[in-house]
Parts: sequence; C-alpha cells; structure tokens
Amino acid sequence: MSGDSRILGLFYLSPYIIGLLVFTALPFAASFYLSFTDYNLMSAPVFTGLDNYWKLFTGDRTFRKSLWVTLVYVFTTVPLKLAFALFIAVILNYKLKFINFFRTAFYVPSILGGSIAIAVMWRYLFADVGIVNMGLATLGIEPVNWFGDPTNALFTITLLRLWQFGSAMVIFLAALQSIDKSLYEAASIDGAGKFATFWHITMPLITPVIFFNLIMQMVQAFQEFNGPYIITQGGPLKSTYLLPLYIYEEAFKRFDMGYASAIAWVLFVIIMVLTLIAFWSSRHWVYYAGDKRS
Amino acid sequence: MKLTKLLLATAFAATSLAPLAHSADLRMSWWGGDSRHKATQVALKACGDKYGHTIAAEFTGWDGHLEKVTTQIAGGTEADIMQINWPWLPLFSIKGDGFADLNQYKDVIDLSQWAPEELDAGSMNGKLNGLSVSTTGRVFMFNKTALDKAGVPVPKTWDELFAAAKQLKTKVGPDAYPMNAVKETAVLLISLYATQKTGKDLVDPAAKKVAWTQEELAAAIDFYGKLVSEGVVVSQKNNAAEGNLNLFESPKWADGRISGSYEWDSTFSKYADPLKGQVLQPVGMLKNAVAKTEGVYRKPSMVFSISKRSKNPKAAAQIVNCLLNEPEGITALGTSRGLPASKIAAKMLTDAGKIEPQIVAAHDIIMKAKGPTVSPLNEHPEVRAVFLDTLEEYSYEQLDSKEAAEQIIEGVNDVLKKF
Repeated sequence: MSGDSRILGLFYLSPYIIGLLVFTALPFAASFYLSFTDYNLMSAPVFTGLDNYWKLFTGDRTFRKSLWVTLVYVFTTVPLKLAFALFIAVILNYKLKFINFFRTAFYVPSILGGSIAIAVMWRYLFADVGIVNMGLATLGIEPVNWFGDPTNALFTITLLRLWQFGSAMVIFLAALQSIDKSLYEAASIDGAGKFATFWHITMPLITPVIFFNLIMQMVQAFQEFNGPYIITQGGPLKSTYLLPLYIYEEAFKRFDMGYASAIAWVLFVIIMVLTLIAFWSSRHWVYYAGDKRS
Repeated sequence: MKLTKLLLATAFAATSLAPLAHSADLRMSWWGGDSRHKATQVALKACGDKYGHTIAAEFTGWDGHLEKVTTQIAGGTEADIMQINWPWLPLFSIKGDGFADLNQYKDVIDLSQWAPEELDAGSMNGKLNGLSVSTTGRVFMFNKTALDKAGVPVPKTWDELFAAAKQLKTKVGPDAYPMNAVKETAVLLISLYATQKTGKDLVDPAAKKVAWTQEELAAAIDFYGKLVSEGVVVSQKNNAAEGNLNLFESPKWADGRISGSYEWDSTFSKYADPLKGQVLQPVGMLKNAVAKTEGVYRKPSMVFSISKRSKNPKAAAQIVNCLLNEPEGITALGTSRGLPASKIAAKMLTDAGKIEPQIVAAHDIIMKAKGPTVSPLNEHPEVRAVFLDTLEEYSYEQLDSKEAAEQIIEGVNDVLKKF
C-alpha cells in the first residue's frame, strides 16, 4: 500500500477514530480515575484511593440490594427473551400466508421498545385500572398490583424487556434460513420426528447465533435504565432499583460522581467476567460449520 | 469581475447588519408545567424583540431538571439564563462563584424592586447569584365543587379532614379521598405536623442537627400512618399501583375522587387547570388547637440566575430585567411562577386585575401564616432521599414509626455534618 493510500485510509477512518477516542476511550479512562476520587461535579476531584470501593463492598446496603435485583433481572430476562425470540423465529420460518407482515409486526416492538413513550404506555397498561387488569377482571381474576407490590414490580419491568424480542428474533430467523435444507431431508428419510430434527440439527447449527444473542442481550440487560426509571423509579422498596439507576442517582442526584464511577466499574467488571465465562463455556456447546470447536 | 461583485455584496451585507451588531444569541432554561412553558416563550419573544436578542427556550418538567442543570454546569454548557430552585444555590455556588454576580449588572437590572431580605436570600457569600421570582410555600387546596357535591364541608382543621374522609367514603365511595400525600408531599405533611407540635423546623441551623426528638418525629409519622389507615390519603402502595402518576395528571384528581392536596402556591394553576369547570379553593393551614405554630413552609421560590460563563452576560441581564421588571415580560409571564416578588410586577398585575382571586388568596395564606424559618437544607437531595426512602419502608411495614424516626434522624444528621 502506498503512503498516499495509507493516509487516505486513515482520513476515511478518522471520524470513527476521533469519535471512539472522544466519546468512548476518554470517558472510559476518566471514569476509572474518578472512581478513586471524591468528585461532586462542582469542584476539582480529590484523590481518595480505594475509599469508594471499600464503602461499596463493606457498608452499602443499597448497592447489595441493587446488585441482587440487577442479577435477578438479567438472569431472568436473557434466557426468557432468547427462548421466546427463538420460538417466534421458528414459527415465522414456516411458509405461511402474510408471513412478511407477521415478521414485520413482531419486529416493530424491538424498535419502539426502549423508547420513553413505550415505557409510559407500559405504565398505563399495567396500572390498577389498566388494560391488563381489565382483561384479568373479564376472566374473573382479582386485579393485580403490578407496580405497588415489590414482588410484581420487577416482573412487570421484565415483561417490557421480553416484549422487545424482535432484534434477537430477526437474527435467529436469518440463521434458521441459512441451514442447508438437505440436512432436514436426510433426517426425514431417516425417520426423525420434528422435535428430534430441531434438537439434533437446528439447534447445533444455530449455536453460534445463540451465543452471539446471549452476549448482546446480557450486556444490554445489565444496562437497562429507561423502563425502571420511567415506570417505577426503582421502587417499591428498591425492588426495581437496577445498578444503572443507582449509578445515575449517585452521580446526578447526590452529586457523588466518584462513587458513581466506582459502581460503574464494578458493573463493568461483572459484565466482563460473565462474558469471559460465556466465551469459555462456548467451547463446550457452540459448533462452527458442524464441528465441535477445539 | 465576479470577485468585485462578491466583495461588494459582502460589504453591503456587513453594512446592513451593522445596526444589529449588539444583538446576542441567548439560551434560557426552566422547569414547569404547560401554562408556564407557554407564558415564558411568549415573554422571551417579547423581550427578545425589544432588545434585538434571540433567546432559545429549553424547558422540561420538574422531574430530572436538577440532573439536567447539574450536567450542564459540570460540562460548562448551561444556558445563559437559568431558573434555579432556591435550595439549589448552596449546591452550585456555596462560595458565591457558581453563577454571575448580578450586582455587577445593577445598571441594567433594577434591583430596587426587591426588598433587601429577598436580595439576601438570593445571595451566596455576598454575591447576588439569583433574583427571587416569587415567594412560595405549601398551601392546602381543596376541590370545592367535588366536596359540595358530596355535601362535605371544606376542612379547616385536622379533625375536620378526618371527618371529611369518613363522609366521602359513605357518600361517594371507598376510592374517594379528601387529601393527597405521596412522596414529597407526604414528607412535607409529616414535617408540618412535627413543626406544629414542636414549633421548630426540621433543621436546627445552629447545631446543624435535626431539631426534633425521635419521639416527636415518630408521633408525626404515626399521624401520617393514621391519615392512610383512616382513608384520608391514598397509600404509597396504591399510588404506585396507579403507575406513580403526578397528581395533576391523575384522572382521580381531574374527576374529584381525590379532592384535596398540599402543594406550592406557585403551582396552583397547574392543579387548577385539569379541574375543568370545578373550583379549586386554597385553605388556611390545617391544625389542631394544641399546635404551637401554623408551621407554614415558606421560602423564596425559584430565582433567575445568569451563567458565569455566559458570553453575553449584559444581554442576559437585559432579558432578566425585562422578564421581571418591564411591562413586556411582566404581562406575558403573568402569574405563571406565582405572584411576582418584583414590586413593580406585583403592582402592575394587581392593577390590571390579571391575578386570579384564588392565586391571590393562596399567596395571602402563605404570607400571613406563621412558622419557623425554613432551612434550604430541608430540600438537600440527600436529606430528601433519606426521608423518602425511610417513609417508603414505613409505608410497606418494614419499619415501625420509632425505627423510621431513628433512621431519618441518623441519616439527616450525617448529611448535615457536611455543612
């Protein structure tokens, strides 16, 4: 490659590189430094060593509660969302009438799902006199206190996340359509039933996509903010107080940016460790090109 | 030839723009409801036209506004003119250097329109950081139409309030309530009861500690518990079930099923507007015979501040003066931020009959009622968070009133130690 081409290439890449440095790398490094400081946004940060982390792991009941709620939320929503997305993708893989309409209709919620408007709509749907309780009443079921009962509130927020299964579904659908049809024909000739075909042919062949969706959905679930912020404000009794909400309130309501940065770094480490575990485990269950990865 | 034409055109454009050379592009941020948003935009247009400035409007609801302003100030991107809540002054400018010192613009802003104590309230460390827009306080307000329809008299004491709840349940139904008290309003109702009983504000300014004993605060929390158990106010749990709606957005407020609340007098219009065709009546401080004081929670309302980083502070000062002291701004803003603190604005609106009688009545109640001086630390975000979180635990029966009082006092004292 000539020198001119190299410069031109760097020039084309520069918007991305500058954006990455300014909006990702710099805040990333700054937050790491701030996590070792006492910084109230209005005056210069004061270095305090490991004080923030010490407080986090020894004396902060709210952090422990928030971490537990976040883990419950992630370990509930991610498997359910993946299972539901795969289930719908399998159905939409059949040649049905108006199939393109149904594919679009199921995808739309994932575009709208994270928006403020949908979170507000959720608030009305699950209100004490909302459509959900009205529907239950027609079945003779007592109305449920979705947001006011600590045991139900997290479930309601979880449902909002599940409703946004469209993007995972589209990826599953693409994977299902890329499977060689001759494999199904061979299985059929050998007398395999539908479940056996799905379990022994479809599932192994889409494990790379399951793995990809697992990582993406897990990272996104750990970062959930809009739903609990708009619908429950983290309550009642901090039952929906996910870590991003706690980080936000520490930073912008209590003006403790140093402590908020420390929580953010703990969250980052948790996501990183779980991602590494997922990568390590993938050796045992993800198959590429039909062969078990070495 | 082309170049000559271009140069001539540029010279002509520069000449024609010369009279506007003093004009400035400004930004102003505020929080509020629809009526305030509309009035302020009209006022900014009028004042902008008068001085040849353009002012971009940045407005939100109350929720999240502190976070927005904090982020902007930390990033140095705040608006030139800001509506700042009075208790936020110590957060942003404890040494007085967080905002522009408006004393430097007294040739532009007519400071004689404010009483010296009002200017003191907006000053930090001797620097005038904000001009008081109005004095405000919490006032009781009842939907008179809804109560009349049910044949229930408007309550004037705590005992009458409890009696009203019983009558409403009988005559209207189990989901009729004469009062609303969730979250911040619940905190302030508890504070009101404790203040009436003790004659003291929450914060002892000299000792920098909570002024109430654990028993006194526990009694006030028990009082709130009684309000819930006797159906005077909706419980926190049931309010959450409705989706944590603001009262003024709630259908139950609009149709009169909730027929009273305890709100800032400056927000009277926000609560009156949804009650189409119904009368919202401000009422004097509810109390019982044994109360040591009416316990009014009165404070300077929001202030208008100018960014210390504004590139056009003088132009911003012109707009602030126009909004608060000149006919164009006064007429357009009206009572969208309560009754104005500026003498000339108050006189102009009163003379013109522009102030609704109920707003005058609400403000009169606040100004005439007695109570201890309120510390701005009552509304420090951490103090408020301790109170709100503990009250939620009490409401969900995780704590009894004594434990809740102990937790609040310990938590608030921890925050007060920092000042």
